[in-house]
Amino acid sequence: MTGEETDEELMLAVCDGDQSAYRILVKRHLTSISHYAFRLLGNQRDTEDISQEVFLRLWTNASKWQPEKARLSTWLHRIAHNLCIDFMRKHGRTVIDDEPTKLDIRDEDYTSSEQEPDTDDRTQRLNSALSTLPENQRSALMLCHYAGFSNKEAAAIMNVSVKALESNIARARRTLKDLLEENDTMRGDTETIG
Amino acid sequence: MTLDDFKHVLDTYGSSRNSWPQEIQDDCAKLLTEDAQARALLQSQHRLDAALDSLTVPDFRDLEAHVMNQPLPPRDRALVDRLVEWLLPDSTSLSELWRPAMAACVPLVFGIVLGNYFSFGVVDETNGFENWDDELLMISFADVDQGQLEL
Repeated sequence: MTGEETDEELMLAVCDGDQSAYRILVKRHLTSISHYAFRLLGNQRDTEDISQEVFLRLWTNASKWQPEKARLSTWLHRIAHNLCIDFMRKHGRTVIDDEPTKLDIRDEDYTSSEQEPDTDDRTQRLNSALSTLPENQRSALMLCHYAGFSNKEAAAIMNVSVKALESNIARARRTLKDLLEENDTMRGDTETIG
Repeated sequence: MTLDDFKHVLDTYGSSRNSWPQEIQDDCAKLLTEDAQARALLQSQHRLDAALDSLTVPDFRDLEAHVMNQPLPPRDRALVDRLVEWLLPDSTSLSELWRPAMAACVPLVFGIVLGNYFSFGVVDETNGFENWDDELLMISFADVDQGQLEL
């Protein structure tokens, strides 16, 4: 294995029990899977458990992947999505579309790439807004904005229609935008008073 | 395209023009050149996307090693694969030859069992004789000389 093989070739090798093919696939897809799980679950330990489980399923269910139906990354994100939903249900977090989901996000988990005080404040507000978004809206936003899936692929991962996905993502963006604008207005008022 | 339509496009697809559907890109571009409110909406969407981009996730330093080195269980293989592997094992040991031999005999046994239970339209050629004794008796009658019977 050179690492230049396609996902399809590597998955065929995994079906034959080739562990080096499995390792190449881990290298190739782990980052996007762990980031997606983290953005849904909000904490590091659960993210690691879910990521391990996703790749365990890649190994045990490799023959079930149908390359003509979905890309490997789509299939893996779907597994990760389902595992995250199951995890949230088990741990008492609601996943109903219109109900906000409170995540266990700690300050040290999420970090901002910028260190200015204003940005930190904005990041914190954005984090808290993200954590209160309903699960379907958050998933839709994560898949399309961060993972770079098309609306059609994201809908397939979440097992919803494209229309439903677009409705979720639009509502998520509107909520976050309103919050940021409200935040900016409040800051402007404070500066004027000061 | 109206301002509301454009707002919906931004909410659904984000601020990157490349992610907007191909068929409405020209309409969006036209609206942006004509309408200052549309430009303000795009600016606001840019700010949100930039804020989302500023959120980074932690560095999962040891995760890759954990995932790569986790013990891998036997895979759930398809039933057909498992059957083929059992019938045609990799080792060429003579002690395992009975498996393909048995598989080859299955159609033969099946044919015998089937033939034993069903006639498949084959006509019984005994012409109504119930058993061989009756048939032999009739043959013996045919051999008897007509003159002897009259006596």
